[in-house]
This record gives sequence, structure tokens and C-alpha cells, in this order.
Amino acid sequence: MRNTNRALNRLLLTFLGIVLLGAGAAVIAAGTLPWAAELWTNTAQGIREQARGLVATAPLPEPIRGWWLLAGIAVPLLGAGLSAAWLASQGGGKTPRLAEQSEGSAGRTVIDAGLVSTAVREALSGNAEVLSTSVSAWESRRGTALHIRLEARKGASPKELADTVEQLLGKMDAWLGHPIPALVRITSGTRTQLSGSRRAR
Amino acid sequence: MSKDPMIRRLVRRETHSSRAIPSLVAASVLLVAFLWLALESVLWMLKDQPLLASPAQILRWLEGLPKTTIPAGMAAAGAGLALIGLLILGLALGRGRRHRRALESDRAAVVIDDDVIAAAVSGRVRLAAGLAPGQATTTVGGRSVRVQVRPTSGRRLEVESVRKAVDGELAAYGLDRPMMSGVQVLKEGVVGQ
Repeated sequence: MRNTNRALNRLLLTFLGIVLLGAGAAVIAAGTLPWAAELWTNTAQGIREQARGLVATAPLPEPIRGWWLLAGIAVPLLGAGLSAAWLASQGGGKTPRLAEQSEGSAGRTVIDAGLVSTAVREALSGNAEVLSTSVSAWESRRGTALHIRLEARKGASPKELADTVEQLLGKMDAWLGHPIPALVRITSGTRTQLSGSRRAR
Repeated sequence: MSKDPMIRRLVRRETHSSRAIPSLVAASVLLVAFLWLALESVLWMLKDQPLLASPAQILRWLEGLPKTTIPAGMAAAGAGLALIGLLILGLALGRGRRHRRALESDRAAVVIDDDVIAAAVSGRVRLAAGLAPGQATTTVGGRSVRVQVRPTSGRRLEVESVRKAVDGELAAYGLDRPMMSGVQVLKEGVVGQ
């Protein structure tokens, strides 16, 4: 339900993987092949000399000495900024507001996710097959969706639970006036989840 | 599978990994590395003491690396780097499927954990064959459901009825991916209660 940009994650991880793979291959080659080691040393030397030459081309008074030195600081800072942006793009999208309707000067109607959460919890509290319920609303560019998470008792029929929730959603649609896209997730208890096994007796 | 693109998208996002954790780790490492490089550059420009190594020292160290390190060390370090790269590539390009699946529904995106299905199938088998808890074990894999039944000794087990119960239960779910089912009856039984 989160608004993580998954394509971006895949793209950046692919790029990072290729860079690391390439670096690894270069290090192996430099360690085992004499001509590769020579190429490695020459390239590094070339970069160092070029950097020294560049610093002299655009001089600045002490203590900065050169514009290219400033660029040498700006580039890692830019990289740090982009990394921070990548970090910040993970997750997000949870909203306390499930629906909102504005009627001009007549006012605005806002439905809180808490209202639906309480209603769902109340409706399922008598169900022995459901151990716990959590309801949240998530916002994306495509609209707001409802996330209902049920913890099922061990051995409970997922079909029956799904039907129960579907009926509940049908009632809610009639109650709220228009259907809200919903995701129903049926999980087992946290203890079995931690063990990481998909086996059950 | 639902026709509604919004529901389809919800199912797809819930049953596949977002790669958020590898991304968080990679971005954090990159952030720290870039900040460190920037700091070292500033310190070097101000002719101050470097924290770990100045940019000039790093370049010189890199330059002499093939000469100062034994070939085996270089090969091992390179293999380590390449392995991490391959691991990240695998995470990025793999399918990233989680152990959940979608159940047929007209109204909502219903996603169930595989262990819930396993527990329900075990329960159904126990009911169909009159077994005690622990006599039926179900494993749900990517495309298969395997049921292991330990019969009660001295009592005949109707394998057909077990098979029918498993298939009936799976058919009722209307899962988005077809599942192969297999029933295995163990040779050793348990002492009846």
C-alpha cells in the first residue's frame, strides 16, 4: 500500500549492482593480469595528473585555490543529496482521511479512516476466527484505498473470512455512498510469521 | 483475477516486494560515503588533518594497489565486490514474489498469506479423513500444495477423499495462480486415540 517508487528502486539497485560487478571484475583483472595492472596504474596516474592540471586552470585566492576544488566538494555533496532523496522516497502515503467531498459554499464532508476502522473492528469483534483487525487508509495518485488486515485463527478458512469481509464492504459501500477500493490481507499470527515457514499441521 | 486496474495494482503491490529494505541500506551506505568524501575534500582544501585519508592519499593508494597487494588478495577482494554486485542485481531484477497470493473476489483485492492456506488445507484434510491434529501437514510452495498425511494405524485411509478435499478447498479459493496439489501418505501410522 505504501507509495514507494518501485521502478526507481529496481533501476537504482540495478545500476548499483552493475557498478559493483564492474568494479569487482576490474579489481580481479588488476590482481591477476599484468597488462590490466599496468592499465590500472596508468589510468589512476592519468586521473591524478589531470586533476592537478585542472586545479591550475581556474585559480582562486587562498585558501580555496581553485574552482575545480570547489567542484570536487560539490560532486560528493550532490551525490549525498541524491542518496537522501532516494532514502526519502521509500514508503509514505498513509492518511487519516479516507474520503473527502467538497460541495462549494455548502461545505465539505470528510470521512476519517478511524470511523471505518471502528466500524470494521466492531463488526468483526464477534467473529471467533479473527484474532485481530487493523484498518488504515492509504493515499496515492490514483486515489485513496482502504487496507484491512485480519489476523486469522490457525486453521480458519480464508474463503469464509474473505466472504465475511466482502459482505462487510458491501454494507459499507451502501453506508458511505460510493465504493472505496479496498485491500484485504489475511495473515496468520505473528508468531508463525516470525518462524518464516509456510508449513502447517 | 479482477478486471479493475486499481484492484489489480493493489494485488500486484501486495504480493511482490517493493525492495524498500535493500534500497534503504544501499541509500544509507551511499549517503555516508558521499558525506565522508565531501568532508575529506573540505579538510584537504583547508590543509587540515584528514579523518581517515585525504582524496590525494586515496588516489595514490588506488594507483599502487596492484603493486602493493598480492594477486590472491586482489582476486578475493574483487570476487567479494562482484558477489555483492550480483546479489544486488538479483534483488533488483528478480521477481520479488512474496509468500502470499490473491483470492478471487468481486469487490476487493484479497491477499492471503501462504501459511493461512496451509493451515486451512490441513484442517480440511483432518475433517475429511477423521484425523487428529498433527496428522496432516501441508506445505504451500510457489505453485504447489503438498499434503503429508500420517494415518491412524489399523484404520484405512481414503486417499481419494483426502485428494478431493484438498482440490475442493483450493478450487473454492479461486487463486490467481493455478496450484498443483499432491497428497503423500506416510508409511508409518500413529497409534489411534
